[in-house]
Amino acid sequence: MIPTVAPAPADADQAGTTTPAGTPARNAGKAAITKFSRHRLFTSPGAVAGLIWLAAIVIASLTAPLWLPFKTEDQDFTAVLSGPTAAHWLGTDELGRDILSRIFAAAAGTLGTSMLTVIVGVGLGTVLAMLAAGAGTRTEAVISRVTEIMMSLPGTVIILAVIGAVGTNIPVVMAILGILMSAGIYRVILGQAKSLQSQLYVDAAKVDGVGPLRISLRHVLPGLANTIVVQAALIFAVGMLIQAGLAFIGFGPPIPQPSWGGMIQGASQHVYDAPWMMVPTGAVLALTVLSANAIGNALGKAPNAAAPHLPSAAARRQRAKAVAAIAAAAPKPEDQAAGDGASHSAAPEGTLSVRNLSVGVDSAGAGNGVRLVTDVSFEVQPGTVLGLVGESGCGKTMTALSLLGLLPSGVSVTGGQILWNGRNLAAVADRDMEAVRGREIALISQEPMRALDPMFTVGYQLTATIRRLRGMNRAEARKEAQSLLEKVGIVDAARILKTYPHQISGGMAQRVAIALALSGQPKLLVADEPTTALDVTVQAEILSLLRSLVKDTGMSVVMVTHDLGVVADICDQVAVMYAGQVVENGSTRAVLDHPRHPYTLALLAADPHANHADDMPERLATISGQVPQPKDWPSGCRFAARCQFAGSACLEPVPLLPSGTGEGLVRCVKADQLAVEGMDWLATDVPASRALQVTPRQNLRTLNTIVEKDPA
Amino acid sequence: MALFITKRLLMALATVLVVAVLAFLLVHAMPGSPGAISLGAGASQEAIDEVNQRLGWNDPLFTQFFSWLGSAVQGDLGISLIDGRSVSADLASRLPVTASLAAGATVLSAVLGIALGVTAAVRGGLLDQVIGGFVGLLVALPAFWVGVIFVYLFAVQSSIFPATGYVPFEVSPQDWALSLALPVITLAVGGAAFIARQTRASMLEALQQEHIRTLRATATPTWKILYVHALRYASLPIVAGIALQFIGLFGGSVIAEQLFAMPGLGQAVQTSVSTHDAPAVQGVVVIATVVVVAVNLVLELATKFLDPKLRAS
Amino acid sequence: MSTTVTERRGSTPPAATTPILEVKDLVVRYGRGRKAAAAPAAVDRVSFSIAPGETVGLVGESGSGKSTIGKAILGLQKVSGGSITYQGKDITSAGAAQRRALGGELRAVFQDPNSSLNPRNTISTSLAEPLRLRGVSAAEARTRAGDMLERVGLPREAVDRYPSQFSGGQRQRISVARALICDPQLVVCDEAVSALDLSTQAQVLNLLADLRDERGLSYLFIAHDIAVVQFLAQRVVVLYRGQVMESGPAAAVTENPKHPFTQALVAASPVPRPAEQAERREARESLGVRTGAAAVPGPGGCPFRLRCPLATELCATERPALRRVGASDVACHYA
Repeated sequence: MIPTVAPAPADADQAGTTTPAGTPARNAGKAAITKFSRHRLFTSPGAVAGLIWLAAIVIASLTAPLWLPFKTEDQDFTAVLSGPTAAHWLGTDELGRDILSRIFAAAAGTLGTSMLTVIVGVGLGTVLAMLAAGAGTRTEAVISRVTEIMMSLPGTVIILAVIGAVGTNIPVVMAILGILMSAGIYRVILGQAKSLQSQLYVDAAKVDGVGPLRISLRHVLPGLANTIVVQAALIFAVGMLIQAGLAFIGFGPPIPQPSWGGMIQGASQHVYDAPWMMVPTGAVLALTVLSANAIGNALGKAPNAAAPHLPSAAARRQRAKAVAAIAAAAPKPEDQAAGDGASHSAAPEGTLSVRNLSVGVDSAGAGNGVRLVTDVSFEVQPGTVLGLVGESGCGKTMTALSLLGLLPSGVSVTGGQILWNGRNLAAVADRDMEAVRGREIALISQEPMRALDPMFTVGYQLTATIRRLRGMNRAEARKEAQSLLEKVGIVDAARILKTYPHQISGGMAQRVAIALALSGQPKLLVADEPTTALDVTVQAEILSLLRSLVKDTGMSVVMVTHDLGVVADICDQVAVMYAGQVVENGSTRAVLDHPRHPYTLALLAADPHANHADDMPERLATISGQVPQPKDWPSGCRFAARCQFAGSACLEPVPLLPSGTGEGLVRCVKADQLAVEGMDWLATDVPASRALQVTPRQNLRTLNTIVEKDPA
Repeated sequence: MALFITKRLLMALATVLVVAVLAFLLVHAMPGSPGAISLGAGASQEAIDEVNQRLGWNDPLFTQFFSWLGSAVQGDLGISLIDGRSVSADLASRLPVTASLAAGATVLSAVLGIALGVTAAVRGGLLDQVIGGFVGLLVALPAFWVGVIFVYLFAVQSSIFPATGYVPFEVSPQDWALSLALPVITLAVGGAAFIARQTRASMLEALQQEHIRTLRATATPTWKILYVHALRYASLPIVAGIALQFIGLFGGSVIAEQLFAMPGLGQAVQTSVSTHDAPAVQGVVVIATVVVVAVNLVLELATKFLDPKLRAS
Repeated sequence: MSTTVTERRGSTPPAATTPILEVKDLVVRYGRGRKAAAAPAAVDRVSFSIAPGETVGLVGESGSGKSTIGKAILGLQKVSGGSITYQGKDITSAGAAQRRALGGELRAVFQDPNSSLNPRNTISTSLAEPLRLRGVSAAEARTRAGDMLERVGLPREAVDRYPSQFSGGQRQRISVARALICDPQLVVCDEAVSALDLSTQAQVLNLLADLRDERGLSYLFIAHDIAVVQFLAQRVVVLYRGQVMESGPAAAVTENPKHPFTQALVAASPVPRPAEQAERREARESLGVRTGAAAVPGPGGCPFRLRCPLATELCATERPALRRVGASDVACHYA
């Protein structure tokens, strides 16, 4: 057949092509960072085989006159319609012509004219896309309309009409085919070109006074290189198929010149008496197309596609094994309670006790067993709010998600216990966690807009959840949904129930997300940076709402945040995390008013919110360097490299210990000394030598996929 | 929404007009005058001139185009130069053949493709790789080659299906279905592979959305997350992919009709192009465009309907 | 300008000289056609000026138009009305050539360190681009790139590396280096530190302060976080839905806000001291400011009226003009 004029999506992860028509590429931003990578090409066995095959066939066809055993028109009447023989390796056709010779004689023309389609189609598509992306909305609208029309044409029929006019002049036909296909290529490239145009470095260049043409050539085109090569490979394959298809229906190169499609057509006449004839030409054509596709797919594969939030069945089986291992390794809660004495067995209903929790990247995956959270312990009493605070990359989100068993694919709990009402959730199978999620422990997250399903109304999402978690009928659930929305401070609840998430503001969406989390009447709410994406006045409203919910319902909250002000506002207890560990915990007042760990001290000193206008220092205190990558964590104190108080004692592993008179714990060998001397964290300038702890790219890439995102 | 539909209708109309002009120009660029073609070799120059005069071949292009357009909107696409039959009547009898072929192939590739794509995305692991490899192979196989192999396997080796020919539905629904089976399957092979890739990619993208985590956090059963929420999210690009596929399959029917000797539009294009039958070429190009544009419009409206953001605006 | 502030900052913004930047009655509308004309403008008659050596903070929530103003000044956003004057030259709709002619005096640092450097170019290519445009030789541009990197606290050798080899904070330093490499007079910082973690944010803020003191730079510092603005700015302009609500000396606006919106904004910004935060919370709740979630005011009048505890009918009909209250200019009928 003649395939679609639009190119097939290269592969699952190829950004941009996943949304062919109508919808703009949703992941265009991701596409922008996809670079042309030789590495990707040469590590894919399929692509390497494809390259070899293509190279071989090009060389073989160009040198064909030198080595081919027969001329294309040599007829061997002693061996008509023969199968493979010593004389005719791939057999002969109905006129006794050698099939091998004809295949290779036809190859150069087929490949060459397909390249013509590629050059015209990809060239035109790219130029149009760069023009549309750079020249403003009006130009883009015009070009997009025109390409839309082109894409909705029956391309095959038009190509045939062209053949009617110009005859079987294959180069001209293939060039016109390229024009028809440029519309699809334009679509694919446009999204990416627009995303590149919206990059801040393009803005920076514009501020410099760099003209639009130069911006397109210097900043946009290089970013498109990979996509262009991918599209070229795919169009090349499509071009070959179309050309062969045309030859098959009699519009190939003039007889007696051989062509692959024509040869298959000839063979099809003899499918009854010589079925072998179908095989060689079909196989060569298919292999060539396959090779081009393999190259395109290898290049088109996104290097770090985000992990799915619902892992595939295969990944879930893996996870179940890991959970079973945890269950086998962990001491039985009852035994431990007995061993520890009575203190834990008497834990009241609704107590969360996390003990020595470790989370790591699965060793089978790309991250190679990197630890993300190590040995984290904390307790949450009913009706209280615990803050997990720290900078990005400290493992606080991973810790929070592990409480619900919702760690991203490829990351799992590697040790320790999550005791909820005395039951170790770290050892509970995913299926059984469904009884806990929503009903006992609920989640709200950073981006309320993305947390709600854009395809369903707020009302549907709420009522479906209420019916599932509370076993209510439709009418009761509807009423409950409305009362929940009112409870989270939404005045016109009836109207909001009918809206879709995109129709409400961010603050409203977070209220809806909270209502959704409350619909199963949970005892514990895990809130992952719930106000980071919101305006500060909206943040204050949401925090007030959470505070009153804690007071009214008696539920407890684990609040993940990077904002010490939020901790001060809502948390009763706080655990400060640094590089996957808790470095200090205790009551919020104790920790914030009298910090004992140098990291806490430093964070407070660096926070401009800690100062009033009249006592604002000339310079803020800083912490030199940055949070180390998980693979670089030292065995000693992980903060030592950045700590102004660090000494030789800090090179040994530091336990979390009580210090001084406070009830909290500190992971610092010098905590007591610092408390006695009442030392302040001083502004530290960053020595150039220490500031450039260059992070090798390889590790950045693998970790980007799994480590929590920077707060906005 | 009403505005949107009006806009789209106008776009569709513009598309058809553009194609009509294009087809008209292409036909005029064909070698030979209508008189020469209809009278065949050996006709006298006077006779040829006389026919050309009668058909308006010597009129200005504008006049010719608008007189053609005027008749076309009334359903008259002119008369074949080769056999003197009405082009409209001929195409009317051929349209059902191609329509059933393209529609059947689209439905079959959508069903197979979505099933394969969803399975690959949802199951993951080895099965995903196997399906991926299989789909990759299907994409690369030329459909005409697959068709011949099918004929060999199902019609020659075991005569389950008729090798060639078309039986109209009115004559015998059962034979109609049997006669369509091989061509439809032939066309659907590549189509299903295309849609499977699209579906897998869209499903994976849907599963990366953060609201999937919210659904898990509220104890939504896995089947519901996959087949209600994720598939719903993925449905937009999938439907868009099906729309593209229909255009491709409609074109692909040229080959299937040739291969299976079916009296459809594709066959008409093929013969009229070979014989330089200008009115027939022009007619079939316009009719094919009208069908493709209409189906595309319907699917596009379906896409808009599926997307609450677009529906609301 | 309160004297205490200028003393403390060390730099002295001269009062009488011509401002380095003057924005007058700036209006920006998105889209075109009748619908866009009827919608409230993204930036609605905003005026302010920046004296040489002065830092002006532009504060507001999302949708306040603060970034749009920055873009308009930088020529990245089409202006619908009003004027922007840079050192006496009208640059309201200056094209690429005119901006080149400014000689790199007006520069920018953007929010996202991940996208403000071209990932495919080495640091030296990125840093040299503005210099090369002005005819500086490749060798000299490279030397100056190295110098500038050292100035922002990175080793000279980093010129040959790619952005992906640096952390977010380091990339933001490089962005600062790029902005300052051709000795600008005015730098527009659009949320320049808001994507950074606390410790890195402090580093970049200090760097900006150092460079200002060293070179007598002016900044237009755009941010949503009033505490960050307060650290760097001498004067603050508070925006709400595209209009100026209040402007004045940083200390006056943040410590003694007059406009009900500024009061709400300041009170909502939490401080990391639990006891004080509890007091602030109570103070905020007693303000009686209504939630902005559902309230979209129609055109005309004060844009804050639907949330404002002081609002009367007058606020719906008449847009309050800026008037002097204490040390600040306030756009409120009742402040």
